[in-house]
Amino acid sequence: MVNANKTRLEDQPAYVLHTYPYRETSLIVEVFSQEHGRLPLVARGARRPKSAVRGLLLSFQPLALSWFGKNELRTLHSAEWQGGQPLLQGKALICGFYLNELLLKLLHRDDPHEQLFLYYQQTLQELARRTDHAAILRRFEKRLLQELGYALMLDREAGTGQQVVAEEGYRYVIEHGPVRQSAGQNGVELRGKTLLDLAVDDYTDPVTLQQGKALMRTLINHYLGDQPLHTRQLLKDLQQL
Amino acid sequence: MKTPTSLDHLIESLRCLPGVGPKSAQRMAYHLLQRDQAGAKRLAHALTHALDTLRHCEKCNSFTEVEVCDLCLSPKRDDSLLCVVEMPADLLMMEQAHCYRGLYFVLMGRLSPLDGVGPREIHLDRLVRRATDGIVQEVVLATNFTVEGEATAHYISELLTPRGIKVTRIARGLPVGGELEHVDSGTLAQAVLERRNVS
Repeated sequence: MVNANKTRLEDQPAYVLHTYPYRETSLIVEVFSQEHGRLPLVARGARRPKSAVRGLLLSFQPLALSWFGKNELRTLHSAEWQGGQPLLQGKALICGFYLNELLLKLLHRDDPHEQLFLYYQQTLQELARRTDHAAILRRFEKRLLQELGYALMLDREAGTGQQVVAEEGYRYVIEHGPVRQSAGQNGVELRGKTLLDLAVDDYTDPVTLQQGKALMRTLINHYLGDQPLHTRQLLKDLQQL
Repeated sequence: MKTPTSLDHLIESLRCLPGVGPKSAQRMAYHLLQRDQAGAKRLAHALTHALDTLRHCEKCNSFTEVEVCDLCLSPKRDDSLLCVVEMPADLLMMEQAHCYRGLYFVLMGRLSPLDGVGPREIHLDRLVRRATDGIVQEVVLATNFTVEGEATAHYISELLTPRGIKVTRIARGLPVGGELEHVDSGTLAQAVLERRNVS
């Protein structure tokens, strides 16, 4: 009994990142929880027509989940709807998939990221209510990298530690930081103003948005290794319609 | 004891079915060979026959044995309406509901960005060709109300709206005859968000 209690967790705030069919009527649910990070749960019978959790295990909705088990794959016991988040629709929905793909590919299992969880929650709210999706995604990517331990150096030059100047040209070198444009040929080219805007999350300048996107794409590709991002392709396809 | 090669091969082949692992495959193989050889022959024949004769209907993309299926050729159907569903089972449900007199297009799947299923994998170009034949006026999106079904519906509407086709989505909310007391919270929450005027 003591053992069973130890491996049981009740009412954990969590989001569903993705689900996969499992056996005849079950689902494997990949969740992102506030206190326990990303983990897989098996939802037994969740694909039966009358299943109580069928309508609840939706991505992008705040849930309170209870689960038990000691193995890597734990068992979902119950799911409670928390509400307050409108369903994502249209472009916002595709952006939501992008966030989930980033979390699925970049977070290690059972590695808690409480700050990132709260930030993910806030980002979903923003996606549902606002239309400046690009700025919302850039800010999330920046926070995600920071939480993973790859925080960006933005307002100071790498090496010298000198203040970045808005009017100067720079190159952002991966795992190093910004250097003066004249200092080499590697890295993503951007303006000093872009770096300073990114540092304070100001995306009102279209050039900042465009250069910020190029920078984030390069950095995220680097940390993903050679895994492709399917949702990025889908967003691109949508834009070209 | 070593399993004979042909038995091994049968067990391995049965594992291509969804939800069938090594144990179930072994059980099925023993059953077919030991208890029901006639059934096994029928199954083998039915599989070969289906593979040889079935193809996708030129118009609705569902399974048929002819070039264009009966439903698509029926003169009783309204050919200005085209309903998009994910799977043939969804088409059957629509027909059972006796609510729709138009034609169909079966996607045979859905966009699933996290599984790498994009617009190319489900051949949305065929849907565009079908919907822009000059006769179709309205496309009714009846994909599932899952996140994947919603993404598919959004993508299709972005594809077809600029081509001058009216695109509609079936409504969601409380089930007919449903009681608030017994409905799940997600459905109720969305029904309140999507409430409409009573006039």
